[in-house]
Amino acid sequence: MAPPAPRDMGDSKYLDVNAVGKAFKGTSVMSGMDFRVGRGELVSLLGPSGCGKTTLLRIIAGLTTADSGEVLLDGRAITSAPAHKRNISVVFQSYALFPHLTVAENVAFGLRARGHAKTDCGPKVAEALALVRMSDFAERKVAALSGGQQQRVAVARALIVDPVLLLLDEPFSALDRKLRETMQVELKTLLRDRNMTAIFVTHDQDEAMGVSDRIAVMNAGQIEQFATPSELYARPASAFVMDFVGLSTRLNGEVIESTENRSTIRSAYGTVHAPGTFVPGTKVTIGVRPELVKTRAAENTLRVTLADAMVLGSKTQLHGRAEAGDRLLCEVPGMNSDYAPGDTVTFGWDVADSLVYETGT
Amino acid sequence: MTGRAERIGLLALPGLSFLAVIYALPLFMLLLKSVQIDGQFSFAEYVAFFSDSYNLSVLWRTVRVALLTTGLALIIAYPTAIVMARAKGFWLSVFLVAMVLPMSVGVVVKAFAWTILFRTRGVLNDTLMSLGITDAPIRMLFTETALIIGAANVFLPFMVLPIYAVLRQMDSRLPEAAASLGATPVFRFMNVTLPLSLPGVVAGCAFTFSLAISMYVIPSLIVGERQQTLSMLTARSFLYLRNEALGATISSILLLIAISVVLTSSWAANRLGARQ
Ligand SMILES: Nc1ncnc2c1ncn2[C@@H]1O[C@H](COP(=O)(O)OP(=O)(O)O)[C@@H](O)[C@H]1O
Ligand SMILES: [Mg+2]
Repeated sequence: MAPPAPRDMGDSKYLDVNAVGKAFKGTSVMSGMDFRVGRGELVSLLGPSGCGKTTLLRIIAGLTTADSGEVLLDGRAITSAPAHKRNISVVFQSYALFPHLTVAENVAFGLRARGHAKTDCGPKVAEALALVRMSDFAERKVAALSGGQQQRVAVARALIVDPVLLLLDEPFSALDRKLRETMQVELKTLLRDRNMTAIFVTHDQDEAMGVSDRIAVMNAGQIEQFATPSELYARPASAFVMDFVGLSTRLNGEVIESTENRSTIRSAYGTVHAPGTFVPGTKVTIGVRPELVKTRAAENTLRVTLADAMVLGSKTQLHGRAEAGDRLLCEVPGMNSDYAPGDTVTFGWDVADSLVYETGT
Repeated sequence: MTGRAERIGLLALPGLSFLAVIYALPLFMLLLKSVQIDGQFSFAEYVAFFSDSYNLSVLWRTVRVALLTTGLALIIAYPTAIVMARAKGFWLSVFLVAMVLPMSVGVVVKAFAWTILFRTRGVLNDTLMSLGITDAPIRMLFTETALIIGAANVFLPFMVLPIYAVLRQMDSRLPEAAASLGATPVFRFMNVTLPLSLPGVVAGCAFTFSLAISMYVIPSLIVGERQQTLSMLTARSFLYLRNEALGATISSILLLIAISVVLTSSWAANRLGARQ
C-alpha cells in the first residue's frame, strides 16, 4: 500500500513532538517533552507504569489535547487537528474492537468512515485479513476470538487505512509469554515490510529491545535516554536507565578520592575504582553488567557470599548477598552447577566496564 | 453445577409467587371476565367495543399519545444520558438526584404545578407575549400537546436511566478507536455509540410506552373528561357505568398492547444483545 521510503533515525523529524506539556487537574504529567521519530522507524516508549507513556501517545493521536507545545508530522503542525483528520491509527491495549461488528466489519470500519461503500471494501478487507492470517475468521464476532486473534484484527483494522503513523499502546500485554514473543516477531516483520513508522508503548524491556530501532526510556514524564537498544544497554545515561534496561551489579558508595578520570569509592564491600572525576564526598551508584563480572580477580575484586545460584540454561546467574539497594550479580555462560548458596566466590571486573552515576540522577 | 444453578433459581421463588398471586391471577380473572357472557365463552364484548367509533377514537388517541410521549421522552433523554454517562463525582450525583427526586413528588402535585405554567395567563404565555412571540395567549392546558409534554416529563427517568446504564458500560476507547480510524463525530455516533446503546433505548421505550399507554392520573388532570384515554374509559366503566364486562374488555386490550410491546422489545433487546 504505502511506497517504500528510506528509513532514518529521527534526522528527518518525520514526527516532531516539540516542548509538549500536559497536566491533569493541576498535576503535571509532562512538561517540555521533546520527541522525534524518523520516517519508517520503529520506536518504543519504555517506562514504568504511570510515567506518561499513554498520555504522550494520546497527544500524538489527537485523543488528548496538550496544554502547551506542538506536534508536527511530516513538517505540518497537527497540534489542533482532531483525531479523525490525522490519519494516525491506534492499536489500544484492550484492542477496542467494535463488539457489535464482525471481524470483517471491524477491519472495514476505517474505509467506511472514509466514505467507501460497504461493497467496495471487500478486496481490501480480504487483503488485510490475509496479512494477519485471519481470513478464516472474517464473519466471526469479535467476542468469540482469543487475545492473539483480537490483536491481529486490531492490527489489520489499523493498517487498512494506510496510516501515516501507527501507535500501539502495550499491544502485547494481554497475551501470554509465548504468544507474545511470536506476535512481536510477526508484527515487526509486517511493519518493516510496509515501511510503517510505528511507536510502541511498553513497560517490558525485552519487548522494547525486540521490536524497536530505538527506545525512548521514560521516567516521570521525562525521556531519560533515546537510543538504540545496544547503546542503551552498553551506555545507559542514568542509573534509572541502567536499572530499567537489563540487569546489573549495582553498588552504592561514596567517593573518597578522585584523580583524572579515575575515582576511588568506598562501598559496603570495600573500596572499588571506577572511571570519572567527582568531588570527594559525592554519593555515587556504580553499575556493572553481569556478563562483564567474572569469577576471578580483576581491577576491582570483591569476595562475595552467594545467596543463590540460578541455572537458566544458556547462562548461570550468581546472586551475592548484598545490602538493601545494592545488587551483586554475575553471569557465567552455560549451565554451571559448581556453585551453591553459601559459597564464597570472587567477583571481579575492570574499571572500564563500570558505569558511574551521581546518586539521585 | 446444574444442581447448584437450580438451587440458586429457588431464590426467584418469592418474587415469582408474589407476581403470580398479586398480578397474574387477578389479571387472568379479568381476562376471563372479558370473554364470558352469562357463563358462556364469547367475544361479543370485543366486537361491541371495536364497532363503536367513539371507542376506536379513544384507542387511537391512547396509542398516539403513548407513541408521541415515548418519542419526545427519547429525544430529551438521549442527550441527557450521554452527558450523564460522561459525568463524574459531584455532577453525576446531581444528575442522578435530578432524575430520581421528581419521582417522589406525586403526579398530582406536578400536574397542579403545570397548570400554573400552562394556563391562559400562566408563566409560559406571559413570557411568550412579553417577548412578542405571540399577541394573544395560546391555549395550552386541556390540549393533547400539554398531555404529551407532561407525560414525557413524568416518565423521563424511565427513559434516561436504562440508556444511561448502557452508555456508562460502554468502553470509552471505542469511539476513540473510531476517531483514530478517520470517523467524524457524526459517523462515530451513528456507527458506534448509537448501535451499542440500542438495548438501553429499547428498554427505555418499552418502559415509557407501557407507562404512557396505561396512564390515568396525568390525562385526568391535564385534559380532563373531554378527551378520554383507554384507562379513563376503563375507570368510567367500572366506577360510573358499573359495566364490569366493558371494563374488563378495555383492560384486556390495554394489557395485550402492553404485553406485545414488552415481548417485542425484549426480543429486540435480545437480538441486539446477541450481536455484541
Ligand atoms: N484522564 C486522566 N485524568 C487524570 N489523570 C490522568 C489521566 N490520564 C492519565 N492520568 C495520570 O497521568 C499519569 C500518566 O498516565 P499514563 O500516561 O496513563 O501513564 P502510563 O501509560 O505510562 O502508565 C498517571 O499518574 C495518571 O494517573
Ligand atoms: Mg499506559
